[in-house]
Amino acid sequence: MTWEIDYLALAPELVIVVTLLVVLALDLFLTRPNKYWTATAAVAGTALAAIPLVILAVEGENVSMFEGSYVVDEFALVLKGLFVVSAYLVLLLSHHYIESERFYQGEYYFLLLASVLGSLVMASARDLIILFIGLELTTGPLFLLAGWRKGDAKSNEASVKYFILGVLSTAILLWGMSMLYGLTGEITFAGLATATAGLADEPAMIVAVLFVIVGFAFKISAAPFHFWAPDTYEGAPTPVTAYLSVNSKAAGFVAFLLVMYLALPELSEIWAPALWILAAASMTLGNLSALRQSNIVRLLAYSSIAQAGFMLVPFAAAAVAGTNIEEGFSATVIYLVIYALMNVGAFATVIAGANRTATGDIDGWAGLGKIDARLGVLIGIFFFSLAGIPPLAGWFAKFAMFRAVILAGGTATVVLAVIAAVNAVIALYYYARVIKAVWLDDAPAEVPARAETPPSVSLRLALLISAALTIVIGFFPAIATFVGDASRIIAAGG
Amino acid sequence: MTWAEFWIIILRVVLTFGLLLVLTIVNVWLERKVVADMQSRIGPNRAGPYGILQTVADGLKLFFKESVTPRKVELGMYVLAPFLAVVPAFLIFMMVPWGAPFMIGDQEVALQGADLNVGLLFILAMSSMAVYAVVLAGWSSGSKYPLIGGVRATAQAISYEAAMGLAMVAVVMFSATQGDGGTLSLAEIVERQSGTWGDIIPAFEPVARFIPRWNIFPQIVAFLIFLIAIVAETNRAPFDLVEAEQELVGGFHTEYSGMRFAMFFLAEYVNIFSMSAIAATLFLGGWNGPTFEGSVPAIISGILPTVYFLLKTYAIVFLFFWIRATLPRLRYDQLMSLGWKRLIPGALGWLILSTFVIAFRQFGVPWG
Amino acid sequence: MVETIIFVLMGLAAIAGAITVVMARNPVYSAIGLLGTLFAVAVLYVLQLAHFVAAVQVIVYAGAVLTLFLFVIMLIGVDKEENREENLRFQRPVVGVLAGVIVVMAAALTAFGDFDWVPASGAVIPEVTNGTIQAVAEPLFTDWVLAFEATALLLTIAAAGAIALAHYRRRESTDG
Repeated sequence: MTWEIDYLALAPELVIVVTLLVVLALDLFLTRPNKYWTATAAVAGTALAAIPLVILAVEGENVSMFEGSYVVDEFALVLKGLFVVSAYLVLLLSHHYIESERFYQGEYYFLLLASVLGSLVMASARDLIILFIGLELTTGPLFLLAGWRKGDAKSNEASVKYFILGVLSTAILLWGMSMLYGLTGEITFAGLATATAGLADEPAMIVAVLFVIVGFAFKISAAPFHFWAPDTYEGAPTPVTAYLSVNSKAAGFVAFLLVMYLALPELSEIWAPALWILAAASMTLGNLSALRQSNIVRLLAYSSIAQAGFMLVPFAAAAVAGTNIEEGFSATVIYLVIYALMNVGAFATVIAGANRTATGDIDGWAGLGKIDARLGVLIGIFFFSLAGIPPLAGWFAKFAMFRAVILAGGTATVVLAVIAAVNAVIALYYYARVIKAVWLDDAPAEVPARAETPPSVSLRLALLISAALTIVIGFFPAIATFVGDASRIIAAGG
Repeated sequence: MTWAEFWIIILRVVLTFGLLLVLTIVNVWLERKVVADMQSRIGPNRAGPYGILQTVADGLKLFFKESVTPRKVELGMYVLAPFLAVVPAFLIFMMVPWGAPFMIGDQEVALQGADLNVGLLFILAMSSMAVYAVVLAGWSSGSKYPLIGGVRATAQAISYEAAMGLAMVAVVMFSATQGDGGTLSLAEIVERQSGTWGDIIPAFEPVARFIPRWNIFPQIVAFLIFLIAIVAETNRAPFDLVEAEQELVGGFHTEYSGMRFAMFFLAEYVNIFSMSAIAATLFLGGWNGPTFEGSVPAIISGILPTVYFLLKTYAIVFLFFWIRATLPRLRYDQLMSLGWKRLIPGALGWLILSTFVIAFRQFGVPWG
Repeated sequence: MVETIIFVLMGLAAIAGAITVVMARNPVYSAIGLLGTLFAVAVLYVLQLAHFVAAVQVIVYAGAVLTLFLFVIMLIGVDKEENREENLRFQRPVVGVLAGVIVVMAAALTAFGDFDWVPASGAVIPEVTNGTIQAVAEPLFTDWVLAFEATALLLTIAAAGAIALAHYRRRESTDG
């Protein structure tokens, strides 16, 4: 046997696999009132998965397996850490929600963990096949989870829309990938990077790359391929929505960036303008649509589309300008990590707020800050952070973004920077609208019926962790720059 | 390819085809006789000695009968379905080696329609094709009972194919340890069952050398699962819900008559024989057996392998008849729960167990 | 020569099957058209000496997937009058235009693109005589074992999730 598997490097994935199988088995033997043990097992397993991550990070050795198609380096570890933490938070959000609404529990955690596993695999994938399977593993379970509120027509709609467009985008993506493989005979990123040198004006290559971009654009719901997102986000159970907009989106982004950055750097003439358009369109369309939303979840859906645009900005700008592409890449990754953490928090407040007021309408939240001050403060923290107000984490994301754009230079870049700046202002308006409703508007005369339900312990824990992270990163952005440094290493070493 | 090779291929195919056709005619008669005996009846005894020509007579009758085509049928599929039943049935048997290879001049003639390196997969593929005939016949007849028969057939075929495939996997994995690497070629699998266990397990040599090296001994559970699955795959009693007379008149072929009905009938018996032959090949050593080479005339030692093959196959065919005459039909939910809740988990468990045993014998304990 | 003839015949059969799938009014005929396409493609695989892929194609797609299609078609009942009214009136012209674009694109690529840079374009397929199974199995269980196992999990997800979605609890309190 010439091949070897480093089980320590695979340990986070293995822990998750074991956990999800344990969850499935537990579900088989537990009776209904005891089903919450599946949630406990899932949360514990996810926490356990962080241990090998830390060990690997301390050791700091780069591991490359399967002929270089699976790499565990600092970049992969940082992203895996992000996925594990955000999955942990989402699991905390889910627990009470899933149990109180009497959904199937075992399968829910099983599917969610499978999706987490997919994102872990994807962070390490350095060839098209493993990347693709990781991507499918991430999104596949979510088609099902989006429809978990079975009796609800909106949830069914969410699931079906997500499924059909997801499958369509998968087909397009796979088509593009198969063309890339057929044209170059290479499947690893390193091989593709060498094989595609100097082929940027071959029509067949252009077609292949465009297919790949369109496929990914669906996955990360970048405009103009975003239209499934608001309906899906609204219909899906809220924890699933949180997961969709955080983990699965981040995973899609990572895959997208890896393919572009590691596999096709020689073809940046093709994809850089496409990314520029995606970034500009997502920001503008997302923000403008968000202005008109009255439902908080839909607002966050459009906000996440717009944020996807912001995330693409530094990378697209640097690629278009052709300079300082490492800076662009690391700025995008920094933005991604910070966005993920604060968006989980935002969704946690949505769940808590909906619990309090029994409604998802922004108008229905009027005066929430006066009823429940702590929740009001948290809403303030997360939404201001999303808007990029210092000293919360969001400002550093925006700062890193603009910094990378300025480093890149060039006309097209400046135009993009202007678009981003205008959009940041628009975004501030609708984020502030939520905060205004919570703090400045008067509370309705009678308090809604469900107001008595206190938020569960797990929800409080999730809120606490994400709020702490949002504030700490805001004050000490050095934590986030570590993420950027890790991405710069991948830029150099590959 | 030389002309000699070409003619040998033709010869192999014609011989295999001819053997199958003749034996099928015998099998129909045999079943009626066996079942009659078990039910204390006499059975066919008019046409020819012991009524052995009864099948031929029936065949001629069906051939000359009018083939009634009901008005509401979907004609295209209705005509196509019988052919879809017969063709896969015959193709399956093409993979089975039914005798020891012999020499004509300097050319070796293997008594087998074709030896593919994906032989076993080909068999699986063809046996899964057989269901189309039933489904399309049931649907195109444009009548209720056949349709229900067709739907039942689909569910049944899918359910039991999985168990059958898993049982096959266990055998293939075991067989891989008996020679150089794994193989799916049936000729090779038969080859690896020659000799006795005496050569393999020296510790028990005095006893083991009397036990042939058939796969059934280490893989007895796989054999039982396979046996149940093939009875279900061929839609025979007690799994004949596809054509349950008391419920569905004649099942999927209710609306068929004359020659077209005869084709379904033929396909059923061809399938019984083919599947039994595959079971004999995979588990009972195929044509392996003592040939007494040198002490008996060459012609006898040449024919003996074919005799062994037929003996083993007929043992299983007899089992088919026996089961049919003894066991009552399952209820539909029993059929499904047997397939999904007993056979498939059982086959999986057996597969895992034999994997561990094989891995243990090959690599030793993981901590050692 | 023989190879070319078989290729052309099977290619035509595959296309004919595909057209049947789309055009047939009766879904059963569509399914049979798909069966034809799958078989034709399987023969093409054999032509490429990929016996294993061909066999698996027939077992999985023709044997299992399509059988399930037929099963579903029959359960739903094909005799019922279908609602054939199209809500998106513009979809047919749009699809026509898109198909035209793709055809033109493919034609343009073939006509004007020069594919000398494609590494496989001039390569000779090595003669595989003794089975493609080993050739498939070895990389699958060494270099690609991770992807392989992940795919296995993917199928488990599909099975478990589909059952959870489709299954309705009769009584909320007792059932698991």
